[in-house]
Amino acid sequence: MKNIYTLFICLFLASFTNAQDKFLTKNGTITFFSKSPMENIEAENNQVLSIVATKTGQMAISILMKSFMFEKALMQEHFNENYVESDTYPKATFKGRILSFDKITATESATKVKGELTIHGKTKEIVIEAQAKRTDDAIVMSGSFFIDLADFGIEIPSVVKNNIAKKIEVSFNFDHKPYKK
Amino acid sequence: MKAKKIILSILILAVLGSIIAYKIYNKPHINVADENADITISASTILADFSSDETTANKKYLEKIIQVKGQVSDVSLSNGKGIVTLQTDDDFGSVICHLTDKESTKISEISKGQELIIKGICTGFLMDVILVKSIIINQQ
Repeated sequence: MKNIYTLFICLFLASFTNAQDKFLTKNGTITFFSKSPMENIEAENNQVLSIVATKTGQMAISILMKSFMFEKALMQEHFNENYVESDTYPKATFKGRILSFDKITATESATKVKGELTIHGKTKEIVIEAQAKRTDDAIVMSGSFFIDLADFGIEIPSVVKNNIAKKIEVSFNFDHKPYKK
Repeated sequence: MKAKKIILSILILAVLGSIIAYKIYNKPHINVADENADITISASTILADFSSDETTANKKYLEKIIQVKGQVSDVSLSNGKGIVTLQTDDDFGSVICHLTDKESTKISEISKGQELIIKGICTGFLMDVILVKSIIINQQ
């Protein structure tokens, strides 16, 4: 019996020393999709920074607005200059916490992430459904949700209101790796 | 006769107008390979500029074509896209260059530790300076 306890303690200590405090990705993906009667608009950003603190399940994401790549150069120009005004607001951020972070295992399961999303200088509290899995050397998070442009003070001129959806679908995929200094 | 001429000229204008509109709508993306660099700089200097004053650096570098020189600290492939990391004097920050699809085929020729000159469009600074649509200029 004593041996078993010793074994458990050893295993516990071993896992403790191996455990990484922070997992991070510097090339996370965020895409958004706007569906409207006139045209569909899609953009992809492969340079998203996302950090997960394993002790608390806290999550911090930084997004460069100019890193969103569009199919058409004109769309990208309008997006940056007229809608998100990326010269004034170069970044979007999310700060929050993965709920029930301790329950995430190596098998993919549904979880929720709650926190504050800041785009275009406006902050809104959101709760996102996500798929998550965790192993010793990766924390993978993915999912999609809708944002309302009006919540972030992004105005769409009436001339193009048939070209751009009011609610934009945002998809994300982050493959966090242990952070080595 | 006069009416015909007017109708004809209106038609020509309409066709020209729609061709111009179509051209503007389908305006191509900047091809980094064909353009001269706006700024030529070392990896350490651009990172130092961003970490000391991000707002000023944003004004100076964002959406500009930057030619940056540095030592490769990491090469990787993510979803078929090549990523080259150039190290700087700073232990925590680097310059991360995301290559174009065409340039990504060259990453097998790049090794850690080699000096490289890369040209790309700067989109900003997170923990590192980010360049997108990058192409490799030299391989020494």
